[in-house]
Amino acid sequence: MTTRAVARGVGIATLVLAAFAVEGLLRAGVINRFIVPLPSQVLAALPRIVVEEHVLARFGQTSLEVLWASLLLAAAGIPLGVMLHRYRIVRLACESWVGALAAAPIVLMYPLFLVIFGRSTTTIVMIGFAAGLAPVILKTLEGLAATRVVLQDVGRSFRLSNAQQFWKILLPAALPSVFVGLRLGLIFAMINIVGVEFLINFGGLGQLINELAERYDLPGMYGAILFVVAASILFFDVTERVERWLRPNT
Amino acid sequence: MAAAEHMSAHVRWLRIAIVAFVLIGWEALAMSGLLFRDVVPSLSAIVRALARALASGEFYGNLAVTLGEVGAALAIGGAAGLAAGIALGANRFLSWAYEPFLYYLGPTPKIIFFPVMIMWFGVASGSKIAMGTLSCFFPIVISAAAAMREIDPVLIRVGRSFRASPWQMATRIYLPAMRAPIVNGVRLGLGVAIIGTLLAETKLSNRGMGYLVIQAYATFDMPRMYALLIVLFVLSIGANALIGRLGLPHAPVQRS
Amino acid sequence: MTAERALLAVEHITKKFAGRDGELTAVDDVSFDVAPGEFVAIIGPSGCGKSTLFNVIGGLLGGYEGRVSVAGERISGTHPSIGMVFQEESTFPWRTVQDNVAFPLEIAGMAKAERQERAAHFVALVGLTGFERRYPSELSGGMRQRVAIARTLASTPRILLMDEPFASLDEQTRVILGDKVLAIQQSLRQTTLLITHNLTEAVQLADRVLVMTYRPGRLKRVVDIALPHPRTPDVVESDAFGRYVAQIWHDLRDEANRGIEEAEALALRQGRRT
Repeated sequence: MTTRAVARGVGIATLVLAAFAVEGLLRAGVINRFIVPLPSQVLAALPRIVVEEHVLARFGQTSLEVLWASLLLAAAGIPLGVMLHRYRIVRLACESWVGALAAAPIVLMYPLFLVIFGRSTTTIVMIGFAAGLAPVILKTLEGLAATRVVLQDVGRSFRLSNAQQFWKILLPAALPSVFVGLRLGLIFAMINIVGVEFLINFGGLGQLINELAERYDLPGMYGAILFVVAASILFFDVTERVERWLRPNT
Repeated sequence: MAAAEHMSAHVRWLRIAIVAFVLIGWEALAMSGLLFRDVVPSLSAIVRALARALASGEFYGNLAVTLGEVGAALAIGGAAGLAAGIALGANRFLSWAYEPFLYYLGPTPKIIFFPVMIMWFGVASGSKIAMGTLSCFFPIVISAAAAMREIDPVLIRVGRSFRASPWQMATRIYLPAMRAPIVNGVRLGLGVAIIGTLLAETKLSNRGMGYLVIQAYATFDMPRMYALLIVLFVLSIGANALIGRLGLPHAPVQRS
Repeated sequence: MTAERALLAVEHITKKFAGRDGELTAVDDVSFDVAPGEFVAIIGPSGCGKSTLFNVIGGLLGGYEGRVSVAGERISGTHPSIGMVFQEESTFPWRTVQDNVAFPLEIAGMAKAERQERAAHFVALVGLTGFERRYPSELSGGMRQRVAIARTLASTPRILLMDEPFASLDEQTRVILGDKVLAIQQSLRQTTLLITHNLTEAVQLADRVLVMTYRPGRLKRVVDIALPHPRTPDVVESDAFGRYVAQIWHDLRDEANRGIEEAEALALRQGRRT
């Protein structure tokens, strides 16, 4: 067995051991049972949550919100990035602003969005869109700007028109970067969507956690948190694979 | 030279034009009554609310609370993240064992852990600081581990060939070499610490900037909400830019 | 050779750049001709303006004095009769070998079936049959340069202009690839202008070698390579070959030295300024 596999095993073993340790300490009364439920109870609560709390339907709802946000991100973010690249003076004026936007705590505006769009799916989708927009624009711009000069020279040596130069050289060369940007935007969107679902107690998975917390269903709540963490890990991994599949040849 | 100056003058004018356009458009929207009146309050109302806030002791009291919480979160999360990151970066076995967890846990919404934090740390500042700490730990540990690994091995060999002591290696080789990526990680960490702390304040608190924002929402005092959000954004972006300046290193030698 | 018989005529080309320390003359009053079917190599030390000359003749660089003509007609800017092969990696990583080579035909609006067939012909010409569906990332550096050459040849340029196409390859690959390119050039009777810094490569491939000075780049000497074709290993190992190499090195050495001295002086000045 390779050292790497052994290491992986050690990592997982540590986690399992920690769970057992927590279980033991709880049963011994060392840790307060009112703030940490028994790991065994949490595991037992999992199937119950799936059935009673319609986890699958909630997962579907959150996914739908993420899907809408991603469509908006692609439809708005990529063209904006292209425009910033096309018009140099606009790029010089606005690029640092978009950079600042990327660092800004956009999700803090959720009360504002609540007022504008009401307590609805639209609010959640719009926050996801707003949170993920900056990386899409920036990565699209970066990809276009980073097209190797020699490739543009090849285009010029074959006397391509401006439109041909864009569609046949700049855009294909920028595509890997565009996908990276879309993935980043998607992840930001997902994180903020689930977060806002929790905060405004509306929507899919995020709302589930809030509800279980308000019901003081401790094992259920911990179980739901596990679900959400698992779902976001899955999302992260799948998008990574898709991104890698989409750009194998650079 | 003249061409470049010409361009930057144009850029400045374009920026002014864009800002002016947005402000005028906003005021027009406010006046038109197209949207429900208070959703887009007039600029003067916002400015007045801003002035009132900046003149009130209550505002600064809450601002201090938030700053304290964010500062504590960054200090604890930063220290833990740096220590863990350096350990992971230095030891490949540890990295293979534990870094995947951190890598995959990173992009998850941390706010969902807030109910747990409340139970463990209470409803006062403790749970907010915990939220901020949890948020900023991840980007810092990941960037510290990467920074350790990215140190050009040649530099380490140079240090060893001159028989530098471990302390000398740490302070004269490792730390300077890692400065840029770690500063970047801290910049990210600050961003998410602010978000985590403030969101926690909006959810359950009776102090802090997040609490003020939710209060404005609950009382439908829109100009005040805009004013508070403007302050928060200016502070966040400013802090981010400041830390970014700290991280400007000398250009590394290009290896062809 | 008279200007009428030349296919490519380069007359009194002077190109200056605005530099940090004032105006820099990269190329100074360079004139030469290339006859149809001829293989001419331009050799010089780094900094002699060869790449500038390449970009001027190819039409990617303007603002120069003098004129460039093809078959007696003055040209300015990029021209369909001049095909360029660049020094850096220039294959499109997102296109297969076949699609890379078919690129100029696609631009010219050729129908799909026809251009696939023509592209396959040129892929075979450079010896890459079987690799049509591969992507550049799956190929070695030498193979990628062959794709770039095939792509340019597919546009059937009257003049093939190459800027140190083998510079990034190791010596063995370079020699073998050079042989292949020479064989293709001979069979197509392709008029070729090759920019290089490699002495043996210049003598191995060219009919005439033009030696340039260090900046400002001027034509120092023209050497006729009276060696037989094909340039077999016997020819390459012959005394005559060695004499040509020595002769050209004799001209180049001083220029190369000047280049090194100036680079050191420049680094010193820049260091003091920061």
